[in-house]
Amino acid sequence: MYPHSHHQNDQPILDVHKVSARYNGHLALEDITFHLHSGERVAVVGPNGAGKSTLFKIVAGVLQPTSGEVTIYGSLPHRHVCIAYIPQRSQVDWNFPVNVADVVMMGRIAKLGPFGWPKKRDWEFVHHALEIVLLNDLSNRQINQLSGGQQQRMFIARALAQEAELMLMDEPLTGLDLPSQDSILSLFDTLQQQDVTVMVATHDLDQAAQYFDRIMLLNQRLIGFGTAQDILQPEKLLQAYGARFQTGMQGGVFYDDCCGEGEDLGHTH
Amino acid sequence: MSPITDSSNSGLAVLASTTFLADIAQNVAGARTQVEALLPFGADPHSYQLTPQDVAKIADSDLLIINGAGFERFLDNALGATGGERTVVEASAGLKALTRGQAEKMEVDPHFWLDPNNVTVYVANIRDGLSQLDPGGAEKYQANAEAYIEQLHALDAWIIEQVSAIPVERRLLVTNHDSLGYFARRYGFTLIGTVVPGFSSDAAPSAQQMAALIDQIKASGAPAVFLDAAESSTLADQIASDAGVTVVTDLHIGSLTDGAPAGTYVDMMKYNVTQMVKALK
Amino acid sequence: MMTAVVKGKTLATLINWLTAPLSYAFMQRGLAAAVLVGIICAVVGTYVVLRGMAFFGDALAHTILPGVALGYLISGGARDSLFWWALGTAVIAALGIGAISKNSQIKEDTAIGIIFAGMFALGVALISTVRSYAVDLSHFLFGDVLSVSSGSLWLILIFGGFVLLTIAAFYKEFLTLSFDPILAITLRLPVGLLDNLLLTLIAVTIAVSLQTVGVALMVAMLVTPAATAYLLTHRLQKMMALAALFASLSGLIGLYLSYYLSIASGASIVLTATAFFLMVFIGKRLHSIFSLHRMEV
Repeated sequence: MYPHSHHQNDQPILDVHKVSARYNGHLALEDITFHLHSGERVAVVGPNGAGKSTLFKIVAGVLQPTSGEVTIYGSLPHRHVCIAYIPQRSQVDWNFPVNVADVVMMGRIAKLGPFGWPKKRDWEFVHHALEIVLLNDLSNRQINQLSGGQQQRMFIARALAQEAELMLMDEPLTGLDLPSQDSILSLFDTLQQQDVTVMVATHDLDQAAQYFDRIMLLNQRLIGFGTAQDILQPEKLLQAYGARFQTGMQGGVFYDDCCGEGEDLGHTH
Repeated sequence: MSPITDSSNSGLAVLASTTFLADIAQNVAGARTQVEALLPFGADPHSYQLTPQDVAKIADSDLLIINGAGFERFLDNALGATGGERTVVEASAGLKALTRGQAEKMEVDPHFWLDPNNVTVYVANIRDGLSQLDPGGAEKYQANAEAYIEQLHALDAWIIEQVSAIPVERRLLVTNHDSLGYFARRYGFTLIGTVVPGFSSDAAPSAQQMAALIDQIKASGAPAVFLDAAESSTLADQIASDAGVTVVTDLHIGSLTDGAPAGTYVDMMKYNVTQMVKALK
Repeated sequence: MMTAVVKGKTLATLINWLTAPLSYAFMQRGLAAAVLVGIICAVVGTYVVLRGMAFFGDALAHTILPGVALGYLISGGARDSLFWWALGTAVIAALGIGAISKNSQIKEDTAIGIIFAGMFALGVALISTVRSYAVDLSHFLFGDVLSVSSGSLWLILIFGGFVLLTIAAFYKEFLTLSFDPILAITLRLPVGLLDNLLLTLIAVTIAVSLQTVGVALMVAMLVTPAATAYLLTHRLQKMMALAALFASLSGLIGLYLSYYLSIASGASIVLTATAFFLMVFIGKRLHSIFSLHRMEV
């Protein structure tokens, strides 16, 4: 019931090979191929509907690709319990009667087994995880009383309690104020020190360039995957976003997500 | 209506509401007229629901014989809606009823037929109704009626004799609903109480009523609870077990059986009395 | 001196008032059934409320009617055998509706609604082939707690106990599955099996509760005490415990009310549970109004 395949450490932690996904007649992903090495921090960038969530769910073993293959350390995702998918905050039932410690403890279920109850060791994992994300004084707080940043950090703690080696975060920074975003971005350093591989879906190209090792440009197809220098080129961005990007004051680039599909470039705010 | 001729068969379509009424009426009608029962064997007339076919039968009938006194609740709305014309004979017409309550809330006990002496009035009413529609057979009906009334008197005497075997202090009746009032009055029984309050099985007791009944059964020493075979015994079972008495589940009060042991009205009464004597002796 | 006598008399009356119904075995059984059923429905109902399954619960309760009707026709109304008919039908119906919900082209609540209404009509049709069906039908719909036998009480205890033990055994799995199904998948919990297990537990709960509250009032016992508890606590275990408390009190008080007011017992229990909900709901509103007031001052 709770598998944990042996990690063939000579294999990349994540190998995606020609993965396509078509659900209900809609082509979500087409011919995606890439691989990640252990400890990498990757930003996944692309417009809404690009298939970022779908890709994460396929990597986590939640969805099956229509064709192609995903392997984690050489074996299929469903053989692993070391992959954490961190959902978008809008998808969560915040009124569920649980507190922070309850949620983080859920990450330990795979280690507890059926009929098991949390032991001292499990509580140590939970407290340690909460310390890392700086939520240890909020462990008894009901989850609907958390700020956006605290909610996000709680899920990261849960992934840490899970002893996840690959964390897939679905737009963790969207809707957070800058200080909250900073606190999370600084966590990525800590995660890298712990040898956790991280894939983060984000809209902020500046942050992607600054805080991540590689950037993946995704819009149904893999437009590009490389360092910020290689990827943040106008032709590539055009391919990914259509014409909806703008340059900022200091020459940085950001994605203008304000408008619907097919809007005209050249509008001002 | 076709002209009635003095032939051996009257050709009348006669419908009686229940099987026991049909049997009584058939004894009066003799070979000259066929009486059909509307309800099937084993049905509980108090909670019966008419089918479309039943309504069709009523529509086709020339003479409808009912018990009356509110017994056939299922006919309340149907007769008006059926249309057509027929004669309706209320078999219990002229009998003085036992009642409960006052004014608009007054309830009438329709279970006259459990006293054979009342059935002699049924016979007279049915004879008159048949004769009215089929004057040619009036003599026959009169002869049949007299013969049957003889049987009813013999039945009455038989019951008195049987009942004498029960010690007076054990002539106690607990029934599902209040159906044996006339029987009790005629043959010297006391009605201790009923599982379901009132003259119909189509009701439910409150918890306090159940509690009161259990107390009454214990206090009176009533030996058994009697149910009609058509009635559900779940409630009675619990009351009887709490009060420490037995349950007799096969009296036949509202319906005959198809063949033995209660295939005719007379047999039905004999069977019931035999069961009562057995349980109460 | 006078007041002491009055107090003594009032106390005596009160005690008598409380104990009088208890002197009857059928009331003891009825109260035991009402309390047990309340607790089981409340604990299972916690998941029903949190997962938004109230409609499913109501549909399932109605869907078992044809199974019960078949049992009624075949066994002639013997109450204890009806439990097994209800149980079998409920489990099959629960898994069936669950499967349809996952695979349907039609919108889920439409599909459930069609099944629910059709099966219920089938049940009524089957029961009506017995020409004098009205009393028994009303027992199936609204409960018949006054005729609970000792045998039925044992069945409630055994199967109810099974439900509660299963929920305890899989507590954290159901918790995770309800809060974050995707997490459950990534942790490789047997999600399909657990889903079906929960549906089965709901089915068993309904079969166990049938004689006490009936088909039409079942959803109230699943939902109302749990919803009341939801207003009062932010912890799942406390929610279950509070729900069980409200449900037992509703069973007790409801049955006492039905005894002294001579009203239908199933309805009386549900009305009491609803009254608790309203009191807590209004109480919370008033509490927040007064708190606001204090803050402003």
